[in-house]
Amino acid sequence: MNVGFIGLGLMGRPMALHLEKAGHTMHLWARRPESLAPFANVNAKTHATPAQVAANAEVVITMVADAPDVEQVCLGPDGLAAGAELKNEPGLVVVDMSTINPNAARNIGSRLAEKGIEFVDAPVSGGETGAINAALTIMAGGKPEVFDKVKPLLEKLGKSVTLIGGSGAGQVAKACNQILTGVGVMAVAEAFNFAAKSGVDAARVREALLGGFAYSKILENHGQRMLDRNFKPGFKAWMHQKDLRIVMEEAHRMGLMLPSAAATAQLFNAIVGSGMGENDSITALQLLEKMSTREE
Amino acid sequence: MNIGFIGFGTMGQPMAGHLLKAGHTLRVWSRRAASADFAVALGAVRCASVAELAQGSEIVCTNVTASADVAGLADALRPGLARGAIHVDFSTIAPSVAREIAARHAGVGVDFVDAPVSGGGVGARNATLAIMWGGKSALAPRLAPLFAVLGRSAVRIGEAGAGQVAKACNQMILVNLIEACAEAAALAAAAGVDFSLVREAMLGGSAGSRALEVFGERMANRDFAAGVEARLHHKDYALLMDEACRLGTPLPVAAAVWQQLNALMARGWGTRDTSSLLCVLESATHR
Repeated sequence: MNVGFIGLGLMGRPMALHLEKAGHTMHLWARRPESLAPFANVNAKTHATPAQVAANAEVVITMVADAPDVEQVCLGPDGLAAGAELKNEPGLVVVDMSTINPNAARNIGSRLAEKGIEFVDAPVSGGETGAINAALTIMAGGKPEVFDKVKPLLEKLGKSVTLIGGSGAGQVAKACNQILTGVGVMAVAEAFNFAAKSGVDAARVREALLGGFAYSKILENHGQRMLDRNFKPGFKAWMHQKDLRIVMEEAHRMGLMLPSAAATAQLFNAIVGSGMGENDSITALQLLEKMSTREE
Repeated sequence: MNIGFIGFGTMGQPMAGHLLKAGHTLRVWSRRAASADFAVALGAVRCASVAELAQGSEIVCTNVTASADVAGLADALRPGLARGAIHVDFSTIAPSVAREIAARHAGVGVDFVDAPVSGGGVGARNATLAIMWGGKSALAPRLAPLFAVLGRSAVRIGEAGAGQVAKACNQMILVNLIEACAEAAALAAAAGVDFSLVREAMLGGSAGSRALEVFGERMANRDFAAGVEARLHHKDYALLMDEACRLGTPLPVAAAVWQQLNALMARGWGTRDTSSLLCVLESATHR
């Protein structure tokens, strides 16, 4: 299949390479030409604009930073929508795998639909490691028949690919994921700091709790990394802050109280504000430790 | 002075009236022409378009609701404004949007001043507003006669956008305090104590505040009709929490209050007074 891919960053690069390895002809565009270097010797064609990518592909995947970038690539000048008009045979599917506001995703989807372009929002969980190992969790929103068409592509990128519902539903699932992981990391950090300040070994606490109702993957994996004091990302704290910002914006729009997520988002603000944003999210433990230590 | 004026809501209408009474020539435009009729009756000149209003105005005042509205008006004004003209925006918008407008205006030699106000409809009617403005300090002498007609105080906070930062701080302190009053009222009621007496006792002490005075009284009287429509405070919280996120500044109390405001909106009370935060607390414990 002719597959377009835009957004060849930490996540996008390995994802595009997996699709090429699976035998697809890749059509690429990048804002920075150096992003195209890893594709010099594989079955990939580079193009001057997103429009040209769309003109040559049946499916275009986008993996960019935020909603304005998705909007620009899809609907901006020389964007995918402009390219779809140049195609001989009608029919283009855009799969956006970025994490953006669900309402923005619905909006972009309906504007593309007006131009006869199908849109699926398919954000991922699993980070750079998940992208490299093709082990992402993919949460999709869109029409079932369109999802079925792109599912074989998504299965080359992740081990769990789920259609959640209509347009925007994938982003809603991702937002739920970030509420659970954000509040979850903070809860584990608070528990470990509580144990340590009480003079109790947090490692023993973790071991005991893993067998009970407080078990969670975050307690197991993130908890172990906290004990190892390995704060390298993983998933960078500033990205978690950005994702919680989307969550809180959407809660505001709907008039929905999210008291725990709101408190957690403020702690992520403090992490970023104190220059720890490039660390993994588990750096939350360091913030709590700092705040519970007498100033020297 | 020739002053353009756009936005005749609860705030803008009395402010325009004060400027006319002070003897300024007001050039007005309104999306719904009828909104500006009162000003025309007082001698204002009606303009057919924003561009026409911009031409021949030394200062243009805007007073609307959202960031996007101000940005749209700024774009429409820009081609018509003369070099050296000043655009004064009294709306409450995002500091970042105010800074963007200032930069675009600067490109054509026009100065932008963000001058959000505190004091509500009463302050606008009585010309007792607190004006907090951001813009070049050299503009102060030209702005002083304008501000003197509209408010009791006008403080220059800093460069463009700084007025909006001050307004965000103002809203955060006010609404956080309204929530504190609501929580005190809920605690007093749960303990079987009359909150109106608690309030009366506290007003003279260290916990006394304008919020306790005005919003506390509405809570004590269970008078939740607006007042200040809570949906406007809710809107302001989106601006200030977004700014906090952008800057990496934790605002834990404001974040919690924001969620109470979200619940208030969900309960359908957005057009009631913000003292309805008491009703949100009551909902949580209602059996």
